[in-house]
Amino acid sequence: MMALMGTTERSLEQGTAEDLASAALSLARCFAAGATMWCVATEWPAHGRHVAVEFVHPVIVGKKALPAVNVEGSDVVSAVRLLARPGDVLLTVSSAGDAVAADLLGRAEAWGLTRVWLGAGSRPPSGRAEHVVWLEGSDPARAARSGDLMLLYHLLWELTHVVFEHPGLLVPPPVCTDEVCITCSDEGRVAEVRSVRGDGLVEVTVGGERETIDATLVSPVAPGDLLLVHAGVALTTVADLH
Amino acid sequence: MSSEPTSFLYPFIESEERDSSGLLVDLAHSAQEKISQSWALRAATIERCHDQLGRAAPAMAECFTRGGRLFAFGNGGSATDAEGTVDLFRHPPHGRPLPAMSLVDDRAVLTALANDVGFDLVFSRQIIAHARAGDIAVGFSTSGDSRNVLRGLEEASHRGLLTVGLSGYEGGAIAASAATAHCLVVRSESVHRIQEAQNALMLQLWSLVQGGLDEGGTE
Repeated sequence: MMALMGTTERSLEQGTAEDLASAALSLARCFAAGATMWCVATEWPAHGRHVAVEFVHPVIVGKKALPAVNVEGSDVVSAVRLLARPGDVLLTVSSAGDAVAADLLGRAEAWGLTRVWLGAGSRPPSGRAEHVVWLEGSDPARAARSGDLMLLYHLLWELTHVVFEHPGLLVPPPVCTDEVCITCSDEGRVAEVRSVRGDGLVEVTVGGERETIDATLVSPVAPGDLLLVHAGVALTTVADLH
Repeated sequence: MSSEPTSFLYPFIESEERDSSGLLVDLAHSAQEKISQSWALRAATIERCHDQLGRAAPAMAECFTRGGRLFAFGNGGSATDAEGTVDLFRHPPHGRPLPAMSLVDDRAVLTALANDVGFDLVFSRQIIAHARAGDIAVGFSTSGDSRNVLRGLEEASHRGLLTVGLSGYEGGAIAASAATAHCLVVRSESVHRIQEAQNALMLQLWSLVQGGLDEGGTE
């Protein structure tokens, strides 16, 4: 029997529980602020639907119904771009190699979404999501069927509801407390091109807001391209960064 | 600023709670406990269901060998487990792809049946339409009492299908029914732990079925 469980038992490191806790705190705060959670699991669509039904129709009577929507089909990126609002959550369930998840997560930053990535197998590169909860070292195809991936989102749901019992913690602490704030100053931000104007300027979505920026350094660009923007100037394309 | 000296006097005023570090520790501790419980339950369930798995798998392998197809169904999270099962049989990580269909996929059929004949019959009516003797019906219910799942298994049994039920708690009506030839019960009262263990059971069952097919092929 341990042959079935052995692989994942080793892979589920101590940090997984801490990662779940921190993801649940963020998720509860987003929901409290009015977010919808968009769920995408292209490799295992049944898990995406399961996450959505879990949040919308809780198994425990009396728990709050929370807005979660599974998105699937031939053009998930267009669908989430159209449906999601800044402040919403993108939750992906996948292996690190899922190209749709990687594409979505890269754009979601520009759309102003909080990103939660649940998965198994080799861990994705850092910085792709605010919260990465990973079953490292386990075979993703097996984790998707053995109950292990399901366990991750069941716990995420459960912990999120525990956070709701602490209303004082549902309001996030202020972001800009110091004189020099990382969010507002030196850091480049990811922007997605909406449309290209003739004068070197492009319309982008950045942090969920529309902005016009100078793209002469990176031209030519096309709608859908991701750019790294600082102080109104596109410095490079995100594809070049990777 | 960071700590008010009198705050310890009012631990019950949760709306004034501002420091999340204690909660994060509690949440992580709770998660770790439940991770252990989930693993223990899955291991114990597979061990306890060893004999039932050992009987169900060769019966299913024989159905597949004779050209049978598998139909899976359930409600809510169990509906997604039915879909996951179909995906596992049809697109296995290794081994032979096997014909399996989910009875929760088609919105037109589901809503038509629910609207016209009632939700209790959404699976049994599809069994009537699609299934033949020698096929396999797999019904998921965490309570074991879902009426439409039970009706689906009853119709399937009546039509000569091999019936497999996955349930929880004490097994419920699905375990008690003579229509359920093989019932795999997860003895737990947590819907989440039941679903996780049902996943593990199905993975084990699929693996045994694949093994049964290989034996058949070498005869």
